[in-house]
Amino acid sequence: MSESGMWVLLEYRLPREPSTPRIALWRKLRGLGVAQLLDGLVGLPLDSRNQERLEWIAQEVVEAGGTAGVWFARPGSAGQERALAARMAEGVAQEYVSVIAAAHEADAELPAVRARTLRRLRRQLGRIRQRDYFPPPEREQAQRAVEALAAALEPSS
Amino acid sequence: MRWATRAGCHVDRAACAWLIHRFIDGGAVFLFVAAPDEVPGDATPFDMPGAPLSHRGGGCSFETFLEHFDLVDPVLTEIAKAVHEADLGDERYDVPEAAGLDVLIRGLSMVRSDREVLELSGPLFDGLYEYRKRATLLGRDPS
Repeated sequence: MSESGMWVLLEYRLPREPSTPRIALWRKLRGLGVAQLLDGLVGLPLDSRNQERLEWIAQEVVEAGGTAGVWFARPGSAGQERALAARMAEGVAQEYVSVIAAAHEADAELPAVRARTLRRLRRQLGRIRQRDYFPPPEREQAQRAVEALAAALEPSS
Repeated sequence: MRWATRAGCHVDRAACAWLIHRFIDGGAVFLFVAAPDEVPGDATPFDMPGAPLSHRGGGCSFETFLEHFDLVDPVLTEIAKAVHEADLGDERYDVPEAAGLDVLIRGLSMVRSDREVLELSGPLFDGLYEYRKRATLLGRDPS
């Protein structure tokens, strides 16, 4: 792909105090897997869901006494977009690696404990997938590690 | 009454439209607009940034409707949890069917117009209401 795609950006400014809305905002943005472009400027690949989510967050920032706006933008070059995508992929890759490690550790657990770990890891994978816009190879590996855990449980259940 | 929301209806707007039609205004007429400033003066906007009947305090618009119209019904409260998770997915509630609800309505919105999405998802929410009602009466999931 030689042409860069459209992104939706959120610019925001929140008072330093109280800190609760700042922390809530930070958690929300992190959950969405945004790319932090600058202090107070984050972006996501444009689709209707991402646009809506950033619009709601903008409204919450304003309600918390800050200022915010939503913008559409296109990276100036495909290379710039690739670099951004690589940075985002690296972030989720680390999360997948922690799932793989947890799945391997679960091998030593008792079946009942392992079943609980399996449910937890499947949910965790689901959460990570929601913010995984540029899937790294670790995604497949993590899925395989978790499904291997499921397969190992089958005979005894 | 006329009610206006943003075009491109997903789970929260579809659920709100069902709630309006069934519990608030049986003669509701829905309009779909691109932006809040396109809402006609005689229409009540919902699920749009800036409208009072929208996301509030980390909740989805469906939850705001229940509060605003004083709809105290344990079954609607259960449906609100499903809509919240389908729309926001922040794991405030543990509702496994939320993921399926999101996928089904999102998929429907890819192949049908907004008006059809509301028409087709209405019976789905009727069914969800009936299921949750029976579950509440039985104290377990009905079969």
